Amino acid sequence: MSARLRAFVALTLVVRAAGAQDPRLAQRLDKPTYVAVNAIVDSARVARLPTAPLVDKALEGAAKGSDGQKIVTAVHQLSIRMAISRRALGSNATGDEIKAAATALGAGMSERDLQRLRVAAGKRPVTMPLAVAIDLIGRDVPVATASSLVIQLARSSVKDSDLALFQRNVRADIDHGADPTVAATTRARGLVLRSGGSAPKPSE
Amino acid sequence: MRDDDIVNIDDIARELRRPAQVDRSFDERVMRHVLRLPRHARARLWSRLTAPRTITISPLGWGLAAASLMLFAALGVLHAKDDFHRAARPIAKALFPTSPKASPAQRVQFVLVAPDAKKVAVVGDFNGWDASHAAYQAQKRGGGVWSVTAPVPVGHHRYSFVVDDSLWVADPTAPRVVDTDYGLPNSAIVVEDNK
Repeated sequence: MSARLRAFVALTLVVRAAGAQDPRLAQRLDKPTYVAVNAIVDSARVARLPTAPLVDKALEGAAKGSDGQKIVTAVHQLSIRMAISRRALGSNATGDEIKAAATALGAGMSERDLQRLRVAAGKRPVTMPLAVAIDLIGRDVPVATASSLVIQLARSSVKDSDLALFQRNVRADIDHGADPTVAATTRARGLVLRSGGSAPKPSE
Repeated sequence: MRDDDIVNIDDIARELRRPAQVDRSFDERVMRHVLRLPRHARARLWSRLTAPRTITISPLGWGLAAASLMLFAALGVLHAKDDFHRAARPIAKALFPTSPKASPAQRVQFVLVAPDAKKVAVVGDFNGWDASHAAYQAQKRGGGVWSVTAPVPVGHHRYSFVVDDSLWVADPTAPRVVDTDYGLPNSAIVVEDNK
């Protein structure tokens, strides 16, 4: 390829990269916040991480009336969590898996938990198990228990639709006054037994 | 050695020591001669390439040369285009890993019971957290129930209800998202491709 063509390619890509910034960021963020968020988004793009969740995080902050510093910190933290998530889930992880795993890390799950979940699920997506784990943690099930139960369910090849049903049942049990840990463990045990596996222990 | 011999030698030595009287054009003559000598092949090629010269060409020759140039230019553009696409594709893929085919969307119903609300909107990753987005404004259905059915792309999304433009409410029927970044609750939804 000639030098001129190389220059043309480079120029086109630079123009395209510059134009790739989400215009909503400029509309909803003040200038310093916009510049800082863009820098983080650019870094994520270079690192081949999904950038849409970072833009969404910034837009969420703007919608909630957060100040610029808080928005930049949240976006930066999310980019770090996404990098850890991809490392834990592997380079073939989808954008949705990385996004869900980053949220799970924010909720308290560890990188090791993500690795174990990846191994347990094999090639099946881990987005739904992660969403369920995040929900359990949000309902006061201890992080270690929630992670362990979800890993057990993934290992037992429980379908996503059954995981969604599990989450709804646990929520209903808690709303009716059950202890969150007992509700989650009991429901998970029933689901695993139904799918032919051995019943999980709370902190396995 | 005889005395007259010594005198002769002295004369010769004196004559030899005398500065040579060189003709002013001597240098030029020498250089012309040197340039006429056979030269190294590489230098010959270089001087042939760089030395200005006059080229004469017949109208027919000129026409053929021009046609050939145009043909090569056209072929070059075609190849360059291919080249550009071949080269740009992996680079663009590296730069825009998530640049993405549009995810298919499913219609999802959001429901909130808020008897005292005047307005309820759904905001989330799927609509840029824009509470004014027309497609995500809930309608009052009676009995304090607000609902809206709106398109949500396949994937994992965080969302929330905004009541009366000020109160953020997580969906009580959906998985919660622990999110301490902004201190307000969110819910999660995983939309699957039904195809």
